[in-house]
Amino acid sequence: MPVKKKTLRLNMLAMFIAIILLQTSIPLIGYIPIGPLEITIIPMTVVVATVLLGTVDGAIIGGVWGFTTFVRAFVWPTSPLAAIVFVNPLISVIPRIMIGVVAGVAYTYLRKHLKSQAASISISAVLGSLTNTILVLGLIYLFYKAKAPQLYQINIKELLPYLLGVVGTNGVPEAIFSGIVTPLIAIPVKKIFDRTNH
Amino acid sequence: MSNFLFGRYLPGNSWVHRMSPQSKLMLCFFFVIVIFFANNVWTYATLSLLLIVVVLMSGVSIGYFLKGIRPLIWLIIFTVLLQILFSSGGHVYWHFGPFSVSDLSLINGGFIFVRFLLIIMISTVLTLTTTPLAIADGVQTVLKPLKKFHFPVDTLALMLSIALRFVPTLMDEMETILNAQRSRGVDFGSGSLRHRIQAAVPLLVPLFTGAINHAENLSTAMEARGFTDSEHRSKYRVYKWQTKDTISWGVFLLVGILVLFLRNN
Repeated sequence: MPVKKKTLRLNMLAMFIAIILLQTSIPLIGYIPIGPLEITIIPMTVVVATVLLGTVDGAIIGGVWGFTTFVRAFVWPTSPLAAIVFVNPLISVIPRIMIGVVAGVAYTYLRKHLKSQAASISISAVLGSLTNTILVLGLIYLFYKAKAPQLYQINIKELLPYLLGVVGTNGVPEAIFSGIVTPLIAIPVKKIFDRTNH
Repeated sequence: MSNFLFGRYLPGNSWVHRMSPQSKLMLCFFFVIVIFFANNVWTYATLSLLLIVVVLMSGVSIGYFLKGIRPLIWLIIFTVLLQILFSSGGHVYWHFGPFSVSDLSLINGGFIFVRFLLIIMISTVLTLTTTPLAIADGVQTVLKPLKKFHFPVDTLALMLSIALRFVPTLMDEMETILNAQRSRGVDFGSGSLRHRIQAAVPLLVPLFTGAINHAENLSTAMEARGFTDSEHRSKYRVYKWQTKDTISWGVFLLVGILVLFLRNN
């Protein structure tokens, strides 16, 4: 890769990391409370990064978010759920990386087969967001069925329906929100991005 | 604002301040791992004692620590209550449906409370005495062994420092965008899902485009100064391993062994 491209990529990734850090620390732009639920819009940022920079970089940005979630679960948990569940690095990091991977693969495929850019971004965003929810749910289920060693010895079996309920009810509006908002943001931003890149 | 990394650093010249960031980072990590092994009153007491010594040596007044814990207190209490109500075993005092309170669950609840406090306090010591940039530097040193596996440690560290450098900048821009939209009558605090979506778009598009412009400008500036790769860079501040770090590691290791000794098997 030429040096100019490499430097630009480094800085783009750095800016997206900065946005992720900002979104995890300022509720207003990271989380949107709707009624009793609080849905996160960070998967949307990961999908925008994937659309602009490609699958690998999207996965990196997702990984950064996952790692932030992991560290925060110890030092600054956002909810009891986070304190119980996200202290397991596999649950906090892998689903986030997969957002970038799934959205990236879906977007590359759809771009070839669909005419509308908005539709391909929208579908990739929904898939990315659902990947996160399903993987978090699935991994919680797997780990706590098997009674893995835990930081807080809570009887997860009793709590499992509650945990799954919380994550599930957040997941659906999250996917809808991602599907609607991501193309609205990614398309104008991509225009500017392509202009600076050529 | 729930901020766990930025704007918390307090300049100072204490023992903890002058330690190298990489060993502070690793000691923090080590402490959390040791907490995993604590399972009775003696082990928790030992760790609490060590924490008190660390807090005293950081030279930061206790008020800052309490201020850091206050926003989290309800969350901690809620998690402890979950633990008390949902754990089983021991002599049951009270139960209703799936909930029960026993002597064992009360003791475990107390331990979890202490655990939370210990982890939050030790990480607060780190962020109060170390700048985010120094932490990024520490991460680079800690991850250095991964270089053997061709993991781009230096690039990652550079990326992290640039990101940390730009968080306050983006935060300021965010504030400007928010005010600009508010002055046009956008209400960010309430409304239906439709309203929220309509409010989010004019907020995020300028934020993203601003970030892209920063990346572009910074790349040009870096190239103009002859930046080629992140591996052969020199540093303005070099953090060296000092006697202080060795002594601190000695104390932490001793406490770790003591905890292994004191825990119930």
